[in-house]
Amino acid sequence: MTAPAAPAYHAAMLALAWANLMHHKLRAALSALAVGTGLMLMLVSRGLATGSIREVNQRMQSVAAELVVLPAQDNIIFTSGAPFRGLHEQHLRGTADAEGPLAAAVIPIFFGQVRLGGQQQRLFGIDPAQLDLFLGGRRVIAGRLFDRAVGFAARVDAGEPRPPESDPAAYDAFLADGLELVIDERLQRVGGYRVGDTVQLLGRVFRIVGVVETGVAGRVLAPLQTLRELTVAGERHASMYFLKLRPGLDPVGAAEAFQRRMGETARVELKSEYGRLLRESFASVDLYMTASSGVALATCFLFILLTMHTMVIERTREIGILKALGVTRLGLVRLSLCEALLISLAGVAIGITLAVAVRGLLGAVVPLLTVELTGGQLLAALTLGVLGGTLSALYPGWRAARLDPAAALLYE
Amino acid sequence: MRAMSDELMIAVRDLHHAYTHGGVTEPVLHGLDLHVRRGEFVVIMGPSGCGKTTLLNILGLMLAPSRAASVRIAGRETLGCSDAERTRLRRAALGFVFQRFNLLPTISVAQNVALPLRLRGAPVNGVVPALLKRVGLAEHAAKKPRQLSVGQQQRAALARAVVTRPALLLADEPTGNLDSANAAAVLSLLADLHAEGQTIVMITHNEQLAVRADRVLHMRDGRFVDGTPGHTRV
Repeated sequence: MTAPAAPAYHAAMLALAWANLMHHKLRAALSALAVGTGLMLMLVSRGLATGSIREVNQRMQSVAAELVVLPAQDNIIFTSGAPFRGLHEQHLRGTADAEGPLAAAVIPIFFGQVRLGGQQQRLFGIDPAQLDLFLGGRRVIAGRLFDRAVGFAARVDAGEPRPPESDPAAYDAFLADGLELVIDERLQRVGGYRVGDTVQLLGRVFRIVGVVETGVAGRVLAPLQTLRELTVAGERHASMYFLKLRPGLDPVGAAEAFQRRMGETARVELKSEYGRLLRESFASVDLYMTASSGVALATCFLFILLTMHTMVIERTREIGILKALGVTRLGLVRLSLCEALLISLAGVAIGITLAVAVRGLLGAVVPLLTVELTGGQLLAALTLGVLGGTLSALYPGWRAARLDPAAALLYE
Repeated sequence: MRAMSDELMIAVRDLHHAYTHGGVTEPVLHGLDLHVRRGEFVVIMGPSGCGKTTLLNILGLMLAPSRAASVRIAGRETLGCSDAERTRLRRAALGFVFQRFNLLPTISVAQNVALPLRLRGAPVNGVVPALLKRVGLAEHAAKKPRQLSVGQQQRAALARAVVTRPALLLADEPTGNLDSANAAAVLSLLADLHAEGQTIVMITHNEQLAVRADRVLHMRDGRFVDGTPGHTRV
């Protein structure tokens, strides 16, 4: 008695599995669709998270600086307000060694919110005098930079007295040069904006004066001094700082020196680590999204298990026939595995197709969202599909294997 | 009728079997002895519930006996064999024909017939078409079983049972669901196979079928009633 030739035997079992699925096309298709939907949810939510984080990180890396200074306890994604004061900026400027200040430039950033391009955007308040550092070499492709705002910022920084509140017209005239916005090309394309368009923000009408290449750290830029004037009465507050170091300094050593100077009020990080900080800040949301899609996916595989289990019950007599013909218990488990894997692989294909379609749909409806579908994610989807299919088939396969052939043949 | 070999295809001694349901044990077979030689055509008859199908299931290695001195099938002692060993022996040496045909509904007639060969890893080309032609189903090879008449289904089942030229063919009421014409056709096929040397053990209620057999054994209440089975002749 010899073991059957493996290829022919496996081909026969595979053909039988395929025939079984084709015999219940609708049920098999629904199972595959369920798996596909679960995988799509997982791929899109993961892709949205990783895509957004990667895109923000890439933009932040464009700033000509080596270090970032962030609020000590704040989540850098969901941060709000401007916790740093003028004193902090002084500390940063004053941190020095024997050769002088460590920072060649301290670049304060003041965050705000504005609705542009159909969604909320983080507004980056940046000193017009430091715009070149912030743009990191990105070109202006339409209009101009904060040319008029430069003068306004200089007047504010010089301590020029504000007009009294009793004279709104004079105050409006004082602010007028500062009400400028620069946006990036992607936002301009998505929102259909043109240079000269106006935007309502903080109770004032801002004018879009320029468009810069995509890739700048912020999609919407406003003069730092204007935002401070409108939100914190001109105080030298900041949401974060970029630090451009004096040439030749070791960034790690410099970061430690700045950290010592700032104490527990801030954390000083390498700009190259910003991606990790984003991921850490997003971890709790990511966990929630992963858990949600994981539960959805597990439910989908339960659907396969139920399908396979139902098939085993319905095909009890057929299982008895297969046993009579000499299919081993292991062979029946394999048959169940084959069927579940075929469903799962179809589900993976459906899931990837749906994910690509949803990415395209999101790109059309919410163009500023970035859904990233990497080879690694697709491989993970395939692995999950195969693993889930395998686990879903084990119990039904075990049930089939344990059936008594003589009794199974009598099943009605 | 073909000359038989002295080689025993079935050698059963002191076979007992009982079913247990809800703690109640119901004896079905009581110390059966059975010898079937290679090439022999044996028919087992008896009233419903006398234990015929239980005996056939044991001979077909689909049921392990409660107790026996020996159950040798195709030269192999099967007592103490694992489920996997019994399954492999079934695949290698046995063929089954059932009253209810038991074709797999999801695959074609040709695929049904080819399945035992594929499970053995044996080549299919040529064998299956020739066999289908022999049983008069060459034109129905691509059909699903439900597209065949009951007579055609049973002929397909018979083709599947013998496609591997098994050492032993076990048939459980193969004509039980057929009209007389189809029953005659199936019996004719069985007789042809027997003439070619096929060992057959068949259960039937049909006295007419029994006349084709080398031996007819009658069972009642789990025992053969014809005396010593190995020597009883029609």
